[in-house]
Amino acid sequence: MKLRYGFRTFLLELVMIAVALAFLFPVYALITLSLKDKQQIASTPLAPPTSPTFGNFADAWQRASLGSALLNSTVITVVSLLLLIAVGSFAAYFLARCASRLGFGLYVLFLLGIVLPFQLGMIPLFKLVDSAGLLGSYQGMIIFYTGIQLPFTIFLYTGFIRALPADYANAALIDGAGHWQAFTRVVFPLLRPITGTVLILNAVFIWNDFFTPLLYLGGSARETVPVRIFAFVGQYVSDYGLVFAGLVLAALPILVVFLVLQRYVIKGFASGLKG
Amino acid sequence: MSASFERAALSRRGFLRASGMAAGAIALPGALAACGGSSGGSGGTLRLVGVADQQKPLDLLTKAYTKSKFNASYAPTDQVQTSVRTQLGAGNAPDVHVVFPGNGSAMSMMQISQAGLLADLSDQAWTKKIPANFKPAFQRDGKTLIHAAGASVIGAIYNKKVFQEAGVEPPKTWPEFLQVCEKIKKKGKIPIALGAQTPWVTQLISYALVPSTVYAENPQFDSQMQAGSATFAKSGWVQALEMYLELQKRGFFNDNPNGTTFEQQTSMVATGKAAMAIQVSAVLPDFRKAASGPDDLSMFPVPGADDAAGVWIPAGVVVGLGVSARGKNRDAAKAFIEFLGEQQNINTWAEAVACVPLVRDSSSKIDPVLEPFLSFMDGNRAVPFMDQNWPNAEVQPAHFAMVQELLGGKTTVAAGLAKLDETYRKK
Amino acid sequence: MSLLTIRRAKGGFLRPPWWFAAPALAVYALVVLYPTASGIVYAFTDWNGIGDSSFNGLDNFSKLLQDDAARGSLVNTLLLSVAIVIVQNGVGLALALGVHTAIKSRALLRVVFFAPAVVSPVMVAFLWKYVYNPAPDAGLNGILGAVGLGGLRQDWLGDPSLAIWSVAGMVVWQFAGYSMVIFLAGLEGVPAELHEAAMIDGAGRFQRFRHVTWPLLAPAVTINVMLSTIGGLKLFDQVYAATNGGPGHASETLSTVLYKQAFVFGNYGYSTAIALVLALFVAAVSMVQIFYLRGREVSA
Repeated sequence: MKLRYGFRTFLLELVMIAVALAFLFPVYALITLSLKDKQQIASTPLAPPTSPTFGNFADAWQRASLGSALLNSTVITVVSLLLLIAVGSFAAYFLARCASRLGFGLYVLFLLGIVLPFQLGMIPLFKLVDSAGLLGSYQGMIIFYTGIQLPFTIFLYTGFIRALPADYANAALIDGAGHWQAFTRVVFPLLRPITGTVLILNAVFIWNDFFTPLLYLGGSARETVPVRIFAFVGQYVSDYGLVFAGLVLAALPILVVFLVLQRYVIKGFASGLKG
Repeated sequence: MSASFERAALSRRGFLRASGMAAGAIALPGALAACGGSSGGSGGTLRLVGVADQQKPLDLLTKAYTKSKFNASYAPTDQVQTSVRTQLGAGNAPDVHVVFPGNGSAMSMMQISQAGLLADLSDQAWTKKIPANFKPAFQRDGKTLIHAAGASVIGAIYNKKVFQEAGVEPPKTWPEFLQVCEKIKKKGKIPIALGAQTPWVTQLISYALVPSTVYAENPQFDSQMQAGSATFAKSGWVQALEMYLELQKRGFFNDNPNGTTFEQQTSMVATGKAAMAIQVSAVLPDFRKAASGPDDLSMFPVPGADDAAGVWIPAGVVVGLGVSARGKNRDAAKAFIEFLGEQQNINTWAEAVACVPLVRDSSSKIDPVLEPFLSFMDGNRAVPFMDQNWPNAEVQPAHFAMVQELLGGKTTVAAGLAKLDETYRKK
Repeated sequence: MSLLTIRRAKGGFLRPPWWFAAPALAVYALVVLYPTASGIVYAFTDWNGIGDSSFNGLDNFSKLLQDDAARGSLVNTLLLSVAIVIVQNGVGLALALGVHTAIKSRALLRVVFFAPAVVSPVMVAFLWKYVYNPAPDAGLNGILGAVGLGGLRQDWLGDPSLAIWSVAGMVVWQFAGYSMVIFLAGLEGVPAELHEAAMIDGAGRFQRFRHVTWPLLAPAVTINVMLSTIGGLKLFDQVYAATNGGPGHASETLSTVLYKQAFVFGNYGYSTAIALVLALFVAAVSMVQIFYLRGREVSA
């Protein structure tokens, strides 16, 4: 519905901006404190920084050794995402198009993964990863994330594919293409919006996950950003400026990814809702 | 998404085993949180997992030790507790890992050794020199199962300038202590900063008072508790908690202690907004870091009795290390512990964490602010931190919760202690 | 086109072959199904997490029924979930309606409101501990003082009757934008013609919302309510990082109890029993919701 930009809209705009400013207060506190040294924080915690210092950022970067952690997090997140998208969209295509009882049962089985508390399987899984010799490795984490995030991924893809007309794929099949080709050449490109959603939501989870990498990677050279950042926070906890600078650095990469992909989030959901 | 609510992380925040030097959440300054040197073949590399407080001394000592390489990691107490227990449960323990002395926590010597997971260290020379009153913290059935470098004490960390301005001196008796607080309050300063939002901080005032109100009169209290012939509710614990609450009633704490964190407590004392905090000596480095100069602060024993001769203090063995009984590198790990037991290395550790060395000789340097505590320790007027003798891991967290509820006016001393007794008797 | 292909078409060849799901099933079974199934066994033992264990039948479950702390945490969990479901979705809907208009800042505002949802909940909790600082000149209290509302200053996390709601506030702040995005997606699916038709019929703003927008938002409501319910029932990180269940046990949830039983108290078997009950409970609630809300969608 195209509304004219009248007075009421203007008022609404003011209200929404005021809400957004109030909403941003914690972020303001985060950034302000990260730009101040100890004396400034003690004397004027919330005033805008008069002489901003970036020393906290340099310190945090170095003391939490974020450089290598960023690399580790990136490798694990990117490879896991690729696998999730490949394996998940594949399975969802089958589940969405298979109307039999088997297909439905399988779908419910996957969705069960959303409600299961991971604590139930924690120790057996740890034993498994250990006996496969994958502790402290990228591979162990990547397989873990692929498995643990599949339910949500399949949930999103299945809803989207169900809303998609089957005609395109059928046309390709009738033209003599195999299912593999029909899926990769015809169906998958149509999944772009929901793939954007899958990408960003899984990236958020994998990037921020702390407990599993602590368990599987702690003490190795493969520690991820959250593991390092929380050890860092634990060490410098009484130094707000330094700790907040560390938090900003740790959150920045995922925020950037979100900014790049944010259009897809809404689009993906919008098309998924129809399913 | 839903999943990310659940799984994303466990926090740094957690339980201190006061027995362990101090804060799980806090840590001594140190280098990187990351891994230590983890190069070379796996054969000669020892996997070591410690709490953050152990990083500073272990960074020094693992570097000085040439016979093994180390793959070391350190994290705040609750994270380590979670990950080490998972590894122990899955049968993949680190070669050397943190163990808390005595009993009372899921990572304590008694609880872990129950499952036979700690190697016997009794044949090492340093174990012969463990002072008699510390033996229960190190030994089970006469076997030494952990190494720890010394003891820390609980007392009042105070800001010397604030004391000077108020014209007061460290008190020697409980009435004097109250007078000191009163004078400071009249000067417009907070007498005692209390960060009870951070769970482990809640216990420190109880622990500071109970040696005088319970153990000075009845040194057998712990064994009577174990035998079932004593209870918290009918002991000097009642008096100690009433004294705790009296401090609150007289307005000697900051407003809203239950919403104030350890970090805020630290900064109040360091910046002179508050005069003192009742704390464990292991956190001195944190207080000093936050202060304008390290000499601004000092420490005195909290006098929990009306008469100076009746004052006892809490002194607990610091968080230690154990060797995995089933590890592939058991012998190499034990050799490292033997190295840690050498006098000079005990000194290094003790200096790094500001504790009193397990065994002292002429080369031992003791942090000067700890001097007022030494006569108590040498004169047998010191008792281990209470939880080190508690039979299960639920009593200490129950004590944290009880103190928060008392401060919040949600329970009474009698009801709180009755519940604590109930928790003590579990299992 | 051969006869063969046409015959295949009649035989339902449009259905993709089963092996499309095979890789997913394999990974899922390896990482989730097998470990969970073998982990459930612990719920029927007295395992302490590290030593030997023996089966104790249903002891853990009968213990759960008599456990005051667990019951208290169940009540807290339900209160938190209800508060989060209502407030987070209410705020999310209001934000969605606000930015689904002609205002110029709408694109920017969407990003602003959603952004907290991508940050780790533990980091958010850590930040909010500063916001909830009880000191009068810091955090939220400082702001309240600065705008002349000093009387509203609170001991946000330290007051036992307030702590749990403060945690809820923090969760709502982080995820209201998430609900907003799902509602926005729903709003974009509402055809403009319907609104125009209703306007011509003389329907007011509220009536149009009530009779046109709201029914068509049903799928978005379903997803939002479900996701926030599951999130609320399983809420752990935020509580653990902000209050650790305190003061006292005032903000303890099932997940924090479960965690403490496993790793702090060393009652692994009992903790697994709680996890199992929690899982069944969450599954049951989600089923009922799907059933009820999906039903509403059809009739709407």
